[in-house]
Amino acid sequence: MPLLDIKNLTVEIDTGSEFVKALDKVSLTVESGEIRALVGESGSGKSLIVSAIIGAVPDHWIITADRLTWKGHNLLAMSNEQRRIIMRREIAVVFQDPTSALDPSATLRAQLEESIPEEFLDKGMFWQRNKQRREIAIGLMHKVGIKNHEACMQRYPHEIATDIAQKFMIAMALVSEPELLIADDSTRSMESTTKNQILRLLSGLNETKKLSILFVSHDLLAISSMAHTMTVLYCGQTVESGKVQDLHNRPLHPYTKALLDSAPSFQINLPPKSHLVSLQGTIPTLKHLPIGCRLGPRCPNARKECVKVPEQRMVNQHSYSCHFPLHLPIDEQLEKNQ
Amino acid sequence: MIPILEVKDLVYTHRVKRSIFKPIDEFILGPINFALNAGETLAITGHNGSGKTLLAKSLVGAITPQQGSILLEGKEAKQSDKKTRNHDVRLILQHSKYSLNPAITVGSILNQTLRLNAELNEKDRKTKIEHTLVKVGLLREHYYFYRHMLSDGQQQRVSLARAMILDPKVIVADEPFAALDPSVRSQTVNLILDIQQELGMAFVFISQNLGIVRHISDKVMIMDKGKVIEAGSSQAVFNAPQHELTKKLIDSHFSLVDKHFEQF
Repeated sequence: MPLLDIKNLTVEIDTGSEFVKALDKVSLTVESGEIRALVGESGSGKSLIVSAIIGAVPDHWIITADRLTWKGHNLLAMSNEQRRIIMRREIAVVFQDPTSALDPSATLRAQLEESIPEEFLDKGMFWQRNKQRREIAIGLMHKVGIKNHEACMQRYPHEIATDIAQKFMIAMALVSEPELLIADDSTRSMESTTKNQILRLLSGLNETKKLSILFVSHDLLAISSMAHTMTVLYCGQTVESGKVQDLHNRPLHPYTKALLDSAPSFQINLPPKSHLVSLQGTIPTLKHLPIGCRLGPRCPNARKECVKVPEQRMVNQHSYSCHFPLHLPIDEQLEKNQ
Repeated sequence: MIPILEVKDLVYTHRVKRSIFKPIDEFILGPINFALNAGETLAITGHNGSGKTLLAKSLVGAITPQQGSILLEGKEAKQSDKKTRNHDVRLILQHSKYSLNPAITVGSILNQTLRLNAELNEKDRKTKIEHTLVKVGLLREHYYFYRHMLSDGQQQRVSLARAMILDPKVIVADEPFAALDPSVRSQTVNLILDIQQELGMAFVFISQNLGIVRHISDKVMIMDKGKVIEAGSSQAVFNAPQHELTKKLIDSHFSLVDKHFEQF
C-alpha cells in the first residue's frame, strides 16, 4: 500500500466571479522508502498540492478527490485534530521560502527546541529536560551541516543567510523523525556545493532511515541525481509520471521532452552559444486557462482533438496524458481516433 | 583592438559600525581587473555574499568605488559623468518584477528612460519603444500594459527592453535567469544570444547556474569574499580549474551531471 495516495485531486479557487480549477485531476503516489520528484514551472500548482496534503487551504476553496489517503486513512474525512497529529509526527514539510516560513520574533534555538516532541525526553528527571532538548537540537544542527551551531542558535531568522535558513528548516522538519518529508523547492537560490550537501543529506536519510521524500522542484539536475520516480505537472494537470530513468530515456509527452531539452547540462554535444530548445509562449494565468489539454496553445504537435482533456494512459508503470504521445507516429494516432 | 569595458584595480570598501562596542564590519571588494571586448560575455559566479552584486552595481555607477578606474572604449568613465554612464552601461536587476514601476504602463517606463537619456521627440520615442518591444519578443500592444498584467517571462523581457532601448555598449545583468522557469529561461537565453549577435554588445552577467554559465559565457570570473579567485576563458576554467574553491564548485556541479548520465 502506498504511503500517500492521491487520485484525481481537484482544487477550485474562488476568483471573485467564478471558480477556477487550479488543480485538475492530479494523481500522485508516494511509496514508502521512495523519493518522488514533483516537477513543474511556477504557477503549475506544485505548492498547491503541498498545501492540499497538509490541509493549509482556505475553507472556501473546493477540494474534491477520489482518494487523498495517508496509509489508507482518508485525510479529507479526518477532523482537524486527527490531521494535526499526523502532521506533527508523520509528515514534515519544508516550506518554499525559509526565511519567511520561520517565526521572526523568536530565536532559532527557541524554535528548534519547541518542536522537539515530549516523548523524546524520557531520560532523567524533569530538571534535566532542558539540557536534553539542547543536545538534541545541537545534534540536529550538525546533522544537516550547520557547523557553528552556537552562532546560529542565538540569531533571529532575518540575521542568517538563506542557505543556512534552508538547512535549519530541514533540521526542524527532521526533529520528529517523520516518515514522509515534503521538501518544497529546497534547493532554490543555492550554489552548487551547498545544493550537493543538501541532496546528499536527503538521499542519505532515505537510505538509512527509509524516509520517503516528496521533492518539489524545477531543478532537473537535482532531481535526476537523487529521485527514483517523478511526476511532471503543467498548469494543474499531471502530464506524465513514471521512473526518472524512463522519463529521461523516452519522454512520451511533448512538454516533458521540452522540459528536459531546455536544460543545457543534459546535453553533452551542445555547442556553446547555440540556441536552446524551448516552447513558444509562457504558462497561462489562472484566469485565461485554455480548454482541454492545457498545453494546447504551446504544444508543437497540437491538433484539433486537443480541445478535449486527454485521458491518462499507462505503459509499464509509465503514465501519460496526451492524445498524440511521442512514441506513436501522429498519422497512426489520427487514424485510430477516427 | 580597444576593449569596450575595462576595469583596472577596482576597490570598494563597505564599512558598517553596528555598535560602539563591536568592531567595525568591513567588506572589501577587489582589487578587480578585467577587460571585455565587443560581443563577448563575462559570467561572474561565486558563493552567496561574495560581492557579486556589489561589483555589478559599481560597474553601472550605482555605488562609487574608492579606488581604480572603469574604462569605456579606452576613455575613463567618471562617476560624475552620469549621462554617458547611464547611456552606455545598463543594468538588469535581480528581480525584474520589483524593478518595474507598478503604477505606470510599460510604455511609460520605457519612455521615461528615453526622455532622460536621449534627445528624441515624442513621435520618435514612440517608434523606438515599439521597435524595441518587438525586438525583445513582445507585441506593440504591450505599450499599454501594466506590470501585473504580464507573466514572469514577459516582465523579464520588459527589463531587457529597458536595458537595451538606448543601444548600450554593455549590459550588466544580476541573476537574470534565477527566477525564471526552465522553458522561459531557455527562451530568455536564446533572446539574449540573438540580441548580442545582432548588436554586438558586451554582456556581463551573474549566475549560480553553472550549466548556463558554461553555455553562454566566453569568460568566467569566480569570486569569494570580495576577491577574484579565478578568471579566464570559460573553456579553460571549466576544463582545468586551478583554485581549490573553483574545483569544488565545478566538481559538485558536474558530479550531479555525471550521476545523471551514469543512470542511463
